[in-house]
Amino acid sequence: MSTTLPAVAFYLLAFAALYGAISMMSTRNVVHATVWLLEVMLATAGLYLVLDAEFLALVQVLVYAGAVAVLTLFTVMLTLRRREDAVRPFPTAWGSLAIAALFTGAMLLAIRGFCPVGVEMPAIAPGIEEFGRELFTTWMVPFEVASLVLLVALVGAVWWTGGDDR
Amino acid sequence: MDWVTLIPLLPALAFVVLAPLSRAARAKLVPLAVAAVLGSLGLSIAAFLAVWPGGHGEVWQASVTIAHIGDRAITLGLALEPMSAIMLTVVTVVGACVQVYSLGYMHREDRIGWYYAVLSLFTAAMLALVLSDNFLGLFMAWEVMGLCSYLLIGFWHEQEAPRLASIKAFLTTKVGDLGFMLALAVVYAEAGAFDFATVLHHDWTAGTATLVALLMLFAAMGKSAQFPLHVWLPDAMAGPTPASALIHAATMVAAGVFLVVRAFPIFEASGIALTITLWVGLITALLAGLLAMVQHDIKKVLAYSTISQLGFMFIALGAGSSTAALYHLVTHAYFKSLLFLGAGVIIHAAHTQDMRQMGGLAKKLPVTSLAFASGSLALAGIVPFSGFWSKDEILAVLLHEHQYVAFAIALLAAFVTAFYVARLWFRVFTAPTQQEDLHEGHRSMLVPMVVLAVITAVIGFFGPTLGDFLGHEIPWPALGTAAISTVAALGGITLGWYVYGRRTSVVNTQALKQRFPHAYGVLANKYYFDLTYGYFVVGGYTTLARALATFDARVVDGVVNGVAAAWRSLSAAGWTFDGRIVDGAVNGAASAVRAAGDKVRTLQTGSVRSYQTLIAGAVVLLVVWILVKGA
Amino acid sequence: MTVGLPHVLTLAALLFGIGLYGALSRKNAVHVMMSLELMANAVNLNLVGFSRFVTPEAMTGQFFAVFSMVVSAAEIGLGLALVIAIYRRKRSVELDAVQELKG
Repeated sequence: MSTTLPAVAFYLLAFAALYGAISMMSTRNVVHATVWLLEVMLATAGLYLVLDAEFLALVQVLVYAGAVAVLTLFTVMLTLRRREDAVRPFPTAWGSLAIAALFTGAMLLAIRGFCPVGVEMPAIAPGIEEFGRELFTTWMVPFEVASLVLLVALVGAVWWTGGDDR
Repeated sequence: MDWVTLIPLLPALAFVVLAPLSRAARAKLVPLAVAAVLGSLGLSIAAFLAVWPGGHGEVWQASVTIAHIGDRAITLGLALEPMSAIMLTVVTVVGACVQVYSLGYMHREDRIGWYYAVLSLFTAAMLALVLSDNFLGLFMAWEVMGLCSYLLIGFWHEQEAPRLASIKAFLTTKVGDLGFMLALAVVYAEAGAFDFATVLHHDWTAGTATLVALLMLFAAMGKSAQFPLHVWLPDAMAGPTPASALIHAATMVAAGVFLVVRAFPIFEASGIALTITLWVGLITALLAGLLAMVQHDIKKVLAYSTISQLGFMFIALGAGSSTAALYHLVTHAYFKSLLFLGAGVIIHAAHTQDMRQMGGLAKKLPVTSLAFASGSLALAGIVPFSGFWSKDEILAVLLHEHQYVAFAIALLAAFVTAFYVARLWFRVFTAPTQQEDLHEGHRSMLVPMVVLAVITAVIGFFGPTLGDFLGHEIPWPALGTAAISTVAALGGITLGWYVYGRRTSVVNTQALKQRFPHAYGVLANKYYFDLTYGYFVVGGYTTLARALATFDARVVDGVVNGVAAAWRSLSAAGWTFDGRIVDGAVNGAASAVRAAGDKVRTLQTGSVRSYQTLIAGAVVLLVVWILVKGA
Repeated sequence: MTVGLPHVLTLAALLFGIGLYGALSRKNAVHVMMSLELMANAVNLNLVGFSRFVTPEAMTGQFFAVFSMVVSAAEIGLGLALVIAIYRRKRSVELDAVQELKG
């Protein structure tokens, strides 16, 4: 019974994520697409929870759902002059579809080939405390570098979007 | 004693500071260059006093290793000994005079800063050359001087003549430098080193010594403008006059003589090389002297005179006396640079270089005329001016060696020298005034001339002292040779006066007219100078001189032009080959690349989406390939 | 009914494929950016899956996912800034409007 709930949750969330992704591709409205992306992100956060990655689930909600989706919405609104511009024509891109399908097929084949179905979930799963301890000891330097990357990205974004007077 | 290194280093630093700057900044820093050469002058005098009283060889030496070839170290070094000490003072005194003089002479030039930079580099190279303790360092300084000479001759490169002259000078001396390089190769192969001590004390066989000596002589002939490589020096007068004074009269052209003096033991080991040196000197001294007689351009007269005097130095070397050659080198450096500086003032005053348009300058330019007189008398060889002593020493050496034919030719050359000096002097200074608006040079130009004039007047008395200093004897002139050479000189001057000097008074002109009535019309037409040549004593002379000029133009230039023409046709053939085959191959490759480029270019659609598609497609293909490979 | 590593990987592969299709087919720059985020998301899911099933103790995949998130956050920030900058110049966010690299 202990393994059933996560399995049910996993399939539900997986379905939600896939459905959101497909909807995102099939809508013609950019704003709608953004909302579908938000849905996919939240579903992924749930998947992280199922996979015992609580911290990542939180970050996923904060960063993607909170920041990225909002940022994207802002951009869409800033770059839309008319309401009807939000609706894009829906081109049938058979070439892209072929490439994506080929890639996905290859990946699925690889997964089947290298990773036999039915590997059990290991019982041990360290909690968020160990995660925090590890992050600030073993991964200290990369963590600081990551903060630097974010700072640079921040400055760069401000610079690029700066006013016309520069 | 390590401060001796500073002597060449100071002007070199001046060049390093000046060269990279802008034109305006360089012009502001000109005093720096003058200060550097004055500093070198002070240090040179100190070095001279450190060597005093001389005769005991090297007093200071330092060297650095610049490279290793196999297990052999190539070193460059400086050494201070009596000969280099004398040369140091000569170079720095003349260099300082010329730089101070140039302040006045060149002050209107925009590019005066560049002029001073190159002049400083030249001075540094010449000082390094005389201080160098090995042939390799000497050669490097030699080449730098060649470069500076090229830059200064072509200083006014906006004009056609200086540009061509600079190229001619560079190429002609390069022909000689080829000899130097080959000589260096032979020297290294034979002696295994470049430094003078090893090379000169090497046990030279006559054959190898002759080979090395002749190659070095060839190099010296190029640098010192000896026949038949003299053609560049008259054209080099297209450069600024003070630069001519320093480079093409006093120092650089003397470097050839200096090289032979340095390598003199090799020449002595050869024997035959000395004879060839003697005859090169004799031919040059006489031919250049004769050519100097028919020039109208004052600087060209001095240029041919320089060639002739350098010939005298080669005569001394050929006769076996390097000391006499060095002595004449020193005196000539002072009086010839003085004459050039005087010519600079004259050219500034008269606004022409043509002596036929000058005249009567003695009254207008008193200081210049006096200084010029000192130099002229020295060049003519009149007691007690410096040229007399050194020329007499050369003649005495010839007599002592029983070279009577050579003695006669040298005497004739001395006579000719006195004649063209007199012609120059009387035409420029005492002939009827043709211009009214004449003015004396600026003080900065006169002071160096006065300094050089005083040196020229008194240095002859120090001949024996100089000989002691070098460790060789320079005796006081014997009465016999002194009398003979004085007679020759006075004869030349008298003849010159008879032809050119007398007509300044009305009576003499009348007498000329009466004696040569058919020349009267020409005399009235101001063309009488040339016709005087024709009708008066020098008819034969003129023909001879013309013939020599023709020979110069036809044969020597012909050979040069012939080589050039052969080269040109070779290059034409090469060009055709180039055009047909090489270009064909190159163009073929180019069009193939272009065609390929035209095809590939369409990939660069500029569309971001097509780029992503390409990248993604490539990645997918890669993944598929890995899977297929792995499975 | 159990959940194994292949399930997670399959889901991630499907999400990635959808994202790839979107990134390749869309003309709207914002849309392309969102598709890229979807792909990054799939990658993170993969990492977490590996972490959970292969190295549950060390949690290496989770840390990688953290840094991957940092990078993709920076990327979307800069990317959207670029979209704004392009919009200022071209008055359009269509990728086809940017053709300066045309050879």
